Amino acid sequence: MRGIDAGGIYLPRFRLSTEETAAAWGHADARGIDRKAVPAADEDALTMAVAAAERALSASLDRSAIELVAVATTTPPMVEGDFLSRFVRMLALPEDVAGSVSTQHTAAGGEAFARALDANGPALVVAADCPEGAPADADHPLGAGAAAFVIDEDAAVPIRDIAWHSDETPGIRFRPRGEREVNSLGVTTYERNAVRETVTAAMTALEGDASEATAAALHQRDGKFPYRVDGDLPLSNEAVATGTVVDRIGDAGAATVPIGLLAALAEGDTGGVTVGGFFGGGSAVALELEGGLPVAGIDELDGGEAIDYTTYLRKRGYVVEGEVAGGGANVSLPNWEGSLDQRYRLVAGECPDCGGITFPPRGACQECHSRVEFERVEASRRGTVRALTIIGQGGAPPEFAELQQREGVYAVAIIALEAGGGETTLPAQLADVDPEAVAVGDTVRATIRRIYTQEGVARYGVKFRSEG
Amino acid sequence: MRDAYVIGAGQSSFGSFPEETYLSLFESAFESTLNSVEGELPTEAIDEAYLGTLGVGGRQIGLSGPAVTEHVGLHGVPTTRVENACAASGYAFRQAVTAVRSGMVDVALAGGYEVMTDTSADGTKWWLGVSGETEWERISGTTFAGVYAQMASAHLEEYDTTVEDLSRVAVKNHANGAKNPKAHLGFECSLEDAVSAPSIADPLNLYHCCPTTDGASAVLVASEAVAREYGDDLIRVAGAGASSGRVGLFQRGTLTSIPASVRAGGAAYEEAGIGPEDLDFSEVHDCFAIAELLAYEDLGFCERGEAGRLLREGVTGPDGELPANTSGGLKSKGHPIGATGTGQIVEAFEQFRGEAHVQVEEPRYGLTHNVGGSGGGVTVHVFEREEVA
Repeated sequence: MRGIDAGGIYLPRFRLSTEETAAAWGHADARGIDRKAVPAADEDALTMAVAAAERALSASLDRSAIELVAVATTTPPMVEGDFLSRFVRMLALPEDVAGSVSTQHTAAGGEAFARALDANGPALVVAADCPEGAPADADHPLGAGAAAFVIDEDAAVPIRDIAWHSDETPGIRFRPRGEREVNSLGVTTYERNAVRETVTAAMTALEGDASEATAAALHQRDGKFPYRVDGDLPLSNEAVATGTVVDRIGDAGAATVPIGLLAALAEGDTGGVTVGGFFGGGSAVALELEGGLPVAGIDELDGGEAIDYTTYLRKRGYVVEGEVAGGGANVSLPNWEGSLDQRYRLVAGECPDCGGITFPPRGACQECHSRVEFERVEASRRGTVRALTIIGQGGAPPEFAELQQREGVYAVAIIALEAGGGETTLPAQLADVDPEAVAVGDTVRATIRRIYTQEGVARYGVKFRSEG
Repeated sequence: MRDAYVIGAGQSSFGSFPEETYLSLFESAFESTLNSVEGELPTEAIDEAYLGTLGVGGRQIGLSGPAVTEHVGLHGVPTTRVENACAASGYAFRQAVTAVRSGMVDVALAGGYEVMTDTSADGTKWWLGVSGETEWERISGTTFAGVYAQMASAHLEEYDTTVEDLSRVAVKNHANGAKNPKAHLGFECSLEDAVSAPSIADPLNLYHCCPTTDGASAVLVASEAVAREYGDDLIRVAGAGASSGRVGLFQRGTLTSIPASVRAGGAAYEEAGIGPEDLDFSEVHDCFAIAELLAYEDLGFCERGEAGRLLREGVTGPDGELPANTSGGLKSKGHPIGATGTGQIVEAFEQFRGEAHVQVEEPRYGLTHNVGGSGGGVTVHVFEREEVA
């Protein structure tokens, strides 16, 4: 039977407590949410999806075997543009992998599961989201995060059944084309009933008996909501609590229920049953899973670093203006695209004559200065800080002015990485770290982030996170 | 190969002159250069010109060299614009020396110019990073200060160097520059000022960074026959060294040395037949304080890791054994990118003439060291004052 063979969660580093929101606005519209995850300025649904997928894949099979990618997000960085192709390239998945990006509603994760279950061969399901709303109210519960699942035959966690139910119930959560902020009409009873009825119908259509379930990850726009959704279902409060994560990460759009499912599976025993109840755009998708598995990144649910509300507004870009005037040094888009093996996968060149490592692997060997055909070698994604600076506030090059307005001072290091039989060095920004807390000699690990945006096109590449 | 001599050198004031243009600044430098020649050198005697500029701000991106020579009345003189970032006019001088040594010309003009302070704050930032390695170094979010700061962090880690040592560069160079009426930042600073200044790119603070400066400078290079016609002081180019290196710091295999400086210095010493112990003064490229420390070590003034000691002990102070940057250096005199290399030679010229503001006693050998970017191109020149027989 097809099912989940590996899972990974990625949550961004920062947390905003609802207390902070309440202090800033005089009230907080985030019932049952203690704190929420906040993405850094250089993160988006794509980078979070990649981070979660790296974790799921590290615990699983050779990534070259993946035949299908099904991504779910309501916040693709571009409403129209490259998402899947970038995701595939960043993870070095096979170029002939089939794929889809489900967006448009918070049940997109269910849609992605359906796609993966219908397919043959190993598949990757990823849900990543970072919804935005009007800061005065709709934003209050909105968090961020990502969950990734490797789907395969004879999996550790068989997916016993999947069921759908659709009914037109507009006004619950919507966002017109061209807008960033999600809306809800707030017709409380209508919305609550619509979600409950639709999810209940999908759950009831599952082959198994929902009363067997020891865990349930139900649509959770706030901490109280899943207990209302299960009103007509024979689920225990304990089961619902096991799959509820919104209290710690906020409403992460299409990613909340998938993260809840992994939280439940991380607790699950052999033979235990977990159900998932997605809702979005008038559709509900129900899943029935059996067993449990270890989940990479699960600790981040209870981790994170607290920030205050002002910092939150900056990080999310609610109070920052973009583009800076100027012009000068330039990397053309074709040149950038030509360096993606280096920017995503750290591909260096080993000299066949002297064994020296050259990065990027172009031109003459950096060691013996001969013009040679390099052997391609992928450098380690773990390295050591060899030199370090902190770019003072206001001192960033114009490409990074917005990043600095949002993130504050940042550290740039020269990092040594093992590659082939030698070592190479490259300059890179450090992400998710207090710049003052890094030192020469520290160990860092590669991650993919948005580097900057030129002429409306975001460019992604490697940064490094500190491992101390 | 015949010898080349410096027969005149001059500069505009270095500073912030938004009302000036690169043409008017060069005009001022050119006049000052002609005035420095003993006797009247007719401008028709100048056969060739090599002018360095990065071209900060855009302005006349193409053909600014001919625009400058025509502007100062060097009508029709073949002019080549040289671009090697902050070493542009160090290289322009090298071209002029080569032209004279080869016998192609008898008198060549070398110089440089840059206008940096009339651009918006955002616009300036675009330009300040253009000589770093663009595709990786800049895109990692570093400014120029950031790259030198990385070198400083590695030096602090590897040796006994302290942040205070970096600040001593500022104290020394400002003390010298305060006596130089053409210096951009001609004021003294205390060690406390220089230690406690706001951070620019940690570990470098404001006093560890040179200013952006407007200015121009020029040097006249001539054959021995011409040199003997114009003056009693014969200032010979005893050694001309230059070398290239990878533009990106991360591509060089060392973070605590500028290998191109080592090679350029070695070549210059070899040609001059002297070693660092024979020098009486030096003008080294101190765009950032750490750069002056690296220069001491790369040019053999001391062993690796010992540069901080030279500063602590005053060896490179005005009364020390080997005074460095008596002009004030880039830190105090200023750093109008394209004008810096020949600007250093102006100081050397004045030292040999006995006209320097911080005068070294009867120097025989002096050295100038000009670095492009963080070390992608370096020139080192050794000068010798010859007694006229």
